[in-house]
Amino acid sequence: MSINAYLIVAGVIFCIGAFGVLIRKNLIIIFMSLELMFNAANLGLVAVSGYLNLIDGDIFVIFVMVVAAAEAAIALGIAVAFYREKGTVDIDKANELKL
Amino acid sequence: MLNISHIYNMNFLEKGMLSIMPEAVIIVFAFIVLFLTFFERLSKSNNPYYLSLISIGFSMLYILMLSGRTIDGFYGSIVFNEFSVFLFIGILFAGFLTILMSNNYINNFEVPLPEYYSLILFGVSSMMLLVSSNNLIMVFLSIEFMSITAYILTGYLKGNTRSTEAALKYFVLGTFASAFLIFGSVFIYAATGHLNLYNIHYFITSVANKGLINFGTIKIYLAIGLILFLVGLAFKMSLFPFHAWTPDAYDGAPTPITNFMATGIKIAAFAIFLRIYSLIYNFNIMDFNNILWLLAILSMTFGNIAAIMSSNIKRLLAYSSIAQAGYILIGIIGGGYYGYSGTLFYLFAYIFMTAGAFAIVVAFENFDLMSLDIKKYSGIGYKYPFVAAAMAFFLLSLAGIPVTSGFMGKFYVFSAAIKSRYDLLVLIALINSAFAAFYYIKIIVQMYMPDKEELIISSSNGVQRDRGSGGANLNKLNNDFGVVNGKINEGLMIAIFICLFFTLLMGIFPQIFINFAHNSINSLWSI
Repeated sequence: MSINAYLIVAGVIFCIGAFGVLIRKNLIIIFMSLELMFNAANLGLVAVSGYLNLIDGDIFVIFVMVVAAAEAAIALGIAVAFYREKGTVDIDKANELKL
Repeated sequence: MLNISHIYNMNFLEKGMLSIMPEAVIIVFAFIVLFLTFFERLSKSNNPYYLSLISIGFSMLYILMLSGRTIDGFYGSIVFNEFSVFLFIGILFAGFLTILMSNNYINNFEVPLPEYYSLILFGVSSMMLLVSSNNLIMVFLSIEFMSITAYILTGYLKGNTRSTEAALKYFVLGTFASAFLIFGSVFIYAATGHLNLYNIHYFITSVANKGLINFGTIKIYLAIGLILFLVGLAFKMSLFPFHAWTPDAYDGAPTPITNFMATGIKIAAFAIFLRIYSLIYNFNIMDFNNILWLLAILSMTFGNIAAIMSSNIKRLLAYSSIAQAGYILIGIIGGGYYGYSGTLFYLFAYIFMTAGAFAIVVAFENFDLMSLDIKKYSGIGYKYPFVAAAMAFFLLSLAGIPVTSGFMGKFYVFSAAIKSRYDLLVLIALINSAFAAFYYIKIIVQMYMPDKEELIISSSNGVQRDRGSGGANLNKLNNDFGVVNGKINEGLMIAIFICLFFTLLMGIFPQIFINFAHNSINSLWSI
């Protein structure tokens, strides 16, 4: 089994996440899509590191998971602040800053 | 220089600690500042402010003690060398100026103070870690560390819808970029089997020299990885197709934080890009210079056109920073010894001219919170002569007029690109910088030669200004979310003076700084 298959799956998941970020309007769904992108990268790292018999990639995955958790905390904080001001988490309502 | 290395038996942990000492000092102080919140009496006064300034000083001391040496700690994940020293000093100045201009500004809003300063200190330490990191894990971690502090600081003005919205946009796009960055490093890892930048460098050079078997797959993986990695970094550097967050985040954030993003984050991102570019990208795997060439031209042109059309001073400076990113990129494209040292020089000059311009925006905001509209700047040259003159000087420097650091920076960067035969690129850049002078000078004209009717409008809906008692002593103005105190305090004044001093010094005696930049570039290549 070559490494290509794993990387293609990871790439597909990454693209699904990226499209989710670009298309969806709900803030929470966008955050979920971002997590999906991070986890696609995790999958790729684990696969490569298993394939090459190295440990660096597995270490990297742990760091990415920690960072993703920290980002989720910030994301939900921002979402709560946004909800308090606008009464919704629809990103179309984030339209005050413009020329 | 004080030599402290002999005290240490250079084993793993101690060597590692020595390599991150300047960052560690700042992190310790950031925690001390954070713990001040437990004591209400301590945190109410200016203590957090002074403590943060002192921590920057201590860190600078450590850098001076360690400078001139190459220390790689944590199995080569962190490399402390002259390259880091140059950028550490720049980043520390960016943090120092941000803290100086914060004191006055942040007191106008009802926000918790010690956390604010400790977040700035964490931000400074993360930028320093990013600059000295030499491993893809470390690059990712410090970029995330830096971005997370920036997200929080951007949304720091509680209850201010603009600030929250800026944080939201910055967060979504910044995390999107980080995902690209890490996915890029997956492919680089798959192609080379290494995460350490030096090891990747050796791998690529050996493969490129020997033409190993299986080179086809490696080449494809490496190309995909490097492109994705470039996208992630280009977001942080706010180059053109990836700039979308820049104007919004710069506009909505508190002005000192805008300065922090424009100076600190930008130079840290450029520094790590320079390090990675010179080690990994600069081979004949793919012609990355063509991609960068396009990015530079698009950033300059777009930034300048958008800046001409914007009427808000913070947005204008944001678009101008996109254009400046294009100019800085020319140095990297020009490449070689002179291109890279010119880039470092430009980055150093950029800190002071941008920080100066933002310091003065903060000063004007102290007179009138709604003064972000450029029309409000009309006639300000007669009301506040010194501040307006300083603003004019910084804007001229950004435009690249001689006797300023901006001119010398552009000179070094463009001449390096000419040496590498990028004539068309330099021609477009020159046209662009002539074009850019238009909107910088437009503000100066607005300040010194106001239209009659605009003056009437601005004085009728502006504040009751009283020049009689000691200059800028205004009536307190209650706004919808803040109170202006109507004076420029010493901290802000010192910040403006530091920026003026360095902008002038780098314009008149650039040799001191360019020699320093040459040394740091040498250390970049002596692996």
